[in-house]
Amino acid sequence: MFNQGGLSMEQAPPVMVVLRFFVTASVFGVLLGLYLMGSVGNILPLNEYAFQLTVIHLLSLGVMASFMLGALFQMLPVIAGVVINTPTIKATVVNILLIIGLFLQIFAFATSSSSLYLIASFFLGLGLLYAMSVMLKEVILIKDHSSSSRGMMFALSSFFLAIVLGIYLLLTLGGYIDGSYFKELKEVHYSFALFGWLTLLIVSISFQVVEMFYVTPKYPMLMSRYLVVTIFTLLVIKMMMIFMSLESSSANVVISSLFILYAGVTIHRLYKRKRPTSDATVWFWRLGMGFLIVSMLITLLSNIITINSQILGVAQVSFIGFALSIVFAMVYKIVPFLVWFHLSNQGYMEAPMMFDVIHPKRAKTHFWIHVGMFTSWLLSILFELDGVWLIAPSFLVMLSFGWLLYHLIMAIRKYNYTQQHTEKIEW
Amino acid sequence: MVVRRITLDAREMEHPIPLQLALQHLQSMIQNEYLYMKHRKKPIPLIELAKEKGFVCFVEQDKQEVWHILISKNQNIKLEELMDV
Repeated sequence: MFNQGGLSMEQAPPVMVVLRFFVTASVFGVLLGLYLMGSVGNILPLNEYAFQLTVIHLLSLGVMASFMLGALFQMLPVIAGVVINTPTIKATVVNILLIIGLFLQIFAFATSSSSLYLIASFFLGLGLLYAMSVMLKEVILIKDHSSSSRGMMFALSSFFLAIVLGIYLLLTLGGYIDGSYFKELKEVHYSFALFGWLTLLIVSISFQVVEMFYVTPKYPMLMSRYLVVTIFTLLVIKMMMIFMSLESSSANVVISSLFILYAGVTIHRLYKRKRPTSDATVWFWRLGMGFLIVSMLITLLSNIITINSQILGVAQVSFIGFALSIVFAMVYKIVPFLVWFHLSNQGYMEAPMMFDVIHPKRAKTHFWIHVGMFTSWLLSILFELDGVWLIAPSFLVMLSFGWLLYHLIMAIRKYNYTQQHTEKIEW
Repeated sequence: MVVRRITLDAREMEHPIPLQLALQHLQSMIQNEYLYMKHRKKPIPLIELAKEKGFVCFVEQDKQEVWHILISKNQNIKLEELMDV
């Protein structure tokens, strides 16, 4: 989408490769909302542990990994110059294996069935490791890395590690492995998945897109060159400390501080942009960075002083708020651009303009739904609300993803309609 | 032959507006016209796309790190001679 020194847009995959993942992520988001609503009414006979694991994995795999993998199929060729041959087939394989694997995993959590754990680990492992073999292998082979492509390499490496550990944890839960080091590996799994994969990927991509999308000053060179590798190294050090039964809070403090610094610089960059128009995506970025600061500040403090569980809950919800805000900011930039660009490039003179694909006002409405959703969750955590009080926040989760899903489907329909009913020119 | 210049200063435009405007110009461009675009980045997708569609391109970065991108349908135009700097 936004190459500044690599290959052509012609290397980019067909538009449906990306949209398939975005639609999948939105559907899983709607399912998450339904699941949360179901849990409020005690319709789902689940224990607390199974409930938490299901919510975490619906969010991290169903929603976030789907969005991220879709975005990577688009961005790796044009940001990092990585050629992904036959992207449609590869994306379809990854997408289907991820969907099947995640459903199996959720049923495994619900039933504690050994065989389901085994099959879930097989499908999820196969799908995600296949995605890594397609992406990570190629990124490692890049000779002349940019800040973004180097960062992507560390983010993908983190994801690879998180997947391998995830398979180990699933097999342990299924009783196939004895599970010594289960607690330690679980912490490493979460650290690399959340801070390594998810956050480092956002950081890496932001070095390229924030400046380009919003005409901001560049990030400080020290930050764009060394932040990702420093945090990745700290995560490795933290992992070693955990296995050596050493106190790893010092690593957490430094990692949290670095993320706060990054978020502060990003907000400053957005404040300094040359054309201060303010669409929804800018607000999603600002909100996301605000959430990251809140989340990391609490994480930092929790490694120094004792913090009560409500505040720790705020940190967790804020972290989710950070990740989702940035993902939505990206989706509302990527989808209209891709639909317009592919149609325009194919010669459809009546291709909808970007604001016709998803109108900025619709994105702004989503922003306010998103704000409402997180406000209600944060309030319910702070005031320890439960039962019927959680219906509204759960409904807003469903509404937020449903809103995006509807607009993605409309974008796909506009794309197909233009191809089928308008004239094409050779130019 | 008199050639007509179409100017597009994209230095302070947000992505992907420069690409959108440049493509509009290229799609309606006639033989004796050329696009003169100034950009803070080298717009590789635009350049590659223009080449694929049979346009000729000339791209150079000046001392102020501004990219000058000249594109024409006419293969006989010496774009480098039309540079401002």
